[in-house]
Amino acid sequence: MSEATLPATAAAPARRLSPALLRAIGGLVILLLWEAIVRAFAPAYVAKPSGVIAVIPKVITDRQFLDATWITLAAVAEGLVIAVAFGTVIGLVMGRSQAVERALRHYVNGFYAMPMIVILPLVTLWFGYTSAARLATIVFAAIFSIVTNVADGAKAVPKDYLEVARSFRAGRLRTLVEIVMPAATPYFLAGFRLAAGRALIGAVVAEFFAAIPGLGYFILFNSRTFHHNEAFVGVLLLAAFGVGCEVLVSSGTKHLLPWYRREGR
Amino acid sequence: MASPATNSALSAAIARHGPFVLSLAAGVALWEIVGRHTSPAFMVPFSETMERLWALVSTTQFLWQAVDSATLFITGLALAIVIGAPLGLLFARFTSVRIAVEPYVMILYATPMVALIPFILSMMGFGFAPKVLVVFLFSVFPVIYNTVEGGRSIKPELIEVAQSFRSSEWALWREVMVPYTLPYTMTGVRQAIGRALVGMVAAEFFLSSTGVGQVIMTASQNFDTGAVFAVILLISLLGVALMRLGRAIENYFAKWRQ
Repeated sequence: MSEATLPATAAAPARRLSPALLRAIGGLVILLLWEAIVRAFAPAYVAKPSGVIAVIPKVITDRQFLDATWITLAAVAEGLVIAVAFGTVIGLVMGRSQAVERALRHYVNGFYAMPMIVILPLVTLWFGYTSAARLATIVFAAIFSIVTNVADGAKAVPKDYLEVARSFRAGRLRTLVEIVMPAATPYFLAGFRLAAGRALIGAVVAEFFAAIPGLGYFILFNSRTFHHNEAFVGVLLLAAFGVGCEVLVSSGTKHLLPWYRREGR
Repeated sequence: MASPATNSALSAAIARHGPFVLSLAAGVALWEIVGRHTSPAFMVPFSETMERLWALVSTTQFLWQAVDSATLFITGLALAIVIGAPLGLLFARFTSVRIAVEPYVMILYATPMVALIPFILSMMGFGFAPKVLVVFLFSVFPVIYNTVEGGRSIKPELIEVAQSFRSSEWALWREVMVPYTLPYTMTGVRQAIGRALVGMVAAEFFLSSTGVGQVIMTASQNFDTGAVFAVILLISLLGVALMRLGRAIENYFAKWRQ
């Protein structure tokens, strides 16, 4: 029975394994390498795959962990809402008005290029070692990528559309809402993807720096007390959040904006 | 936008740089005014920040701290490029290896590396090596990720043609792999430069406090807002300069991109 099916199936995969299988093998090799290296060279407390898997059930039912995760993600969401609200408005104005663009462009670029981590000492001077400091860091981390991308998007509106709007005597607000904003949406989403990643980093560094309770502090506390496996579950969650945002935005772009194609893909 | 004067070089220069100079002057003026009317613990005026900056920069201690930071930055970034680019090429050369590792490189690229700093601290302590590792981890994944992406852009026909002409493996790398992936690698290098700067400051904040990071930390612990502003300004300017440099490098190699 197996003799009959074997040659037919074995011929193709012998040359090329299916991508899913290759990825599974790749993942397995990475995990095994990690496990082997830690077992061979590192002290027992160092995180290794078997250890992390073993503590996952305990950690994800732990009240402290759940609270910490909730606090951090809620702060990231709050910061992103603020950053999106202000960033979109500033970006739209910059994109549509050359005077404003010229006045602000260098500042926005400067703040965007600035390693956001350097503002932590200043933020703690201003807001103390509180969750307000974390929120400020998140907003600062996130807002400039939204501003630059929305401004680029608002600038990239095809001239023909604007001319048509003008010849039909569309008001400024209407032009903005019905022509500029849809055209800028893909740029906004690209900016949002960057912003979400940066916001998450902002939250974690603020928690490290100011010892504010949250997921970052959970990681810090557990690794300081040599509970590396437990701490690593927090890192996994952060990675999942980062990758999740990436996937959400790219699938959102594909489904909501089917007319938009990124060049070169 | 068009000046009424004829196209003299001067009016062109004013039209080009005028708005920038004007917005810079407005920003400085705003900073000065706000700084003078708020508590000095909150914000110090521009003039005072400049004084503090000058006082800081002219000490030899600061010079050594800057050298410290630069050494850390350059070592970590250089390691990331020297290790990341060949590794990315190796992944890109063999399609099955590329498919096998690509999702994991992407995940690591998207993972906030700062989260690993506490682990590095408790495993490796406070030396120079753990800090280099932090800068390396911050900057290596953009290099690998973009190089692998570049490998994707190589048409399989090119490699097939090369092989049917009995090209040696070495020639294949030299003539096909490297030229085709280099522009992508340089995009990675540009991203890596920015990340390495963040990694440098993060390492100096969260591991042993040294270099420029230490200067800010000390200033903030002493409630010396002027010095905090001064160093932040300095690092921001450095960030902008490095971003420009990264873009220049990227554009130089982008010419190769078809």
